Amino acid sequence: MKETNNVKKMMAIGMWSSIAYLLMMLNFPLPALPPFLLIDFSEIPAMLAAILFGPIAGVAVEAIKNILHYLIQGSGTGIPVGQLANFVAGVLFILPASYLFQKFGTSKGLTYGLVLGTIVMTLMMSVLNYYVILPAYTFFLNAPALSSEQARQLIVTGILPFNVIKGSMVTVIFIILFAKMKPWIHRQMAA
Amino acid sequence: MMNSMIIGKYVPGTSIVHRMDPRSKLIMVFFYVFIVFLANNVKSYAILTAFTFSLILLSRIPLSFIIRGLKPIFWMILFTFLLHLLMTKEGELLYRLGWLEIHEQGVKQGIFISLRFLSLIIVTTLLTLTTTPIEVTDGVESLLSPLKKFNMPIHELALMMSISLRFIPTLMEETDKIMKAQTARGVDFSSGSFQERIKAIVSLLVPLFINSFKRAEELATAMEARGYQGGEGRTKFRLLTWKFADTALIVLLVLLAIILFILRS
Repeated sequence: MKETNNVKKMMAIGMWSSIAYLLMMLNFPLPALPPFLLIDFSEIPAMLAAILFGPIAGVAVEAIKNILHYLIQGSGTGIPVGQLANFVAGVLFILPASYLFQKFGTSKGLTYGLVLGTIVMTLMMSVLNYYVILPAYTFFLNAPALSSEQARQLIVTGILPFNVIKGSMVTVIFIILFAKMKPWIHRQMAA
Repeated sequence: MMNSMIIGKYVPGTSIVHRMDPRSKLIMVFFYVFIVFLANNVKSYAILTAFTFSLILLSRIPLSFIIRGLKPIFWMILFTFLLHLLMTKEGELLYRLGWLEIHEQGVKQGIFISLRFLSLIIVTTLLTLTTTPIEVTDGVESLLSPLKKFNMPIHELALMMSISLRFIPTLMEETDKIMKAQTARGVDFSSGSFQERIKAIVSLLVPLFINSFKRAEELATAMEARGYQGGEGRTKFRLLTWKFADTALIVLLVLLAIILFILRS
């Protein structure tokens, strides 16, 4: 019986990864922010997988989504820097969110979790951009390295508000989605 | 639109590069990323560029496809070229226009960096141009299979990836159907306030998630009815065969690395 559940889980992760990939394709830039920061809702299927099948399933959806994106769309620099950044951001968002949800198991826990996820993602992505992602971009694009002043400014005016907006949009949509799907989710969890 | 969603940039063909084992191509791309950084003078860059261009010729992909793929980063290349051209103040002064000075080293650096950048991008896009995503998935599974010994779920990850790839078009169709059904019920996807838009998105996502989950259940039942029990002892429909050309490619790559290492200053 456990085996059946595992196969079902894998198939659902596969399906939801395709949905995540499709949602990732429907991305859009935000006015007043740098055009390479694109908002999309592909964290939603990963989050759903994380609360139904556990955090590892959510990480799997994030991983498959980005691998598919790299295989199908490629990367401007040849090296998947953007996809890796998206993967790290997604994992940083869903792990705290699903942790708090599993601890409390209520919509309230979920709300706090998603807010915590947004905060963790925003803070960690700002730090990672400063030390890793922006230097990696300039290195692979062979552009001159940003001075720490320039990098700080780009993070404060671009990356930080971007992650806050992305996190809050996903949070709002996911809470509404969860409220609608609650009976179904509980039935699946009981099965 | 539909096509580009599934096969990506793949250009069908029968060239020797197309027929190569995805594993050898993956190994090549992986190490090429490091090898390009070995080149640092005229001779080594000439050999690196020659290698890259012979790969394009062998793949028989029209140059126009490759140039089209480079368009988005064309300005980036031009920008870095000009930057190195104008900012390097070493070597003989070649040209001066007001405060603009072009030095010999600047020309060299500009060309070198652009060539390195181009080689890197051309080789990685060549992989996606000559290999379908499903072949890449099979290749990755096979290359990473030694990690199974450390309890890494390589087979499971590859299986989920191929399921995901297979269902992209199906789920796209389904999304389209649900959107039409919801529009018929009065949902407006293309306009409205922020709140209305979010409601519209949710009304699309809920049936999409539940329907795809049903599909997943059916698929799991069908697989078990056919005796699926994990990766152990599973036979495959698409077999990977390592051919002479694959060994040749790896040998050439090693030779390239050695030659560049000797020639670099």
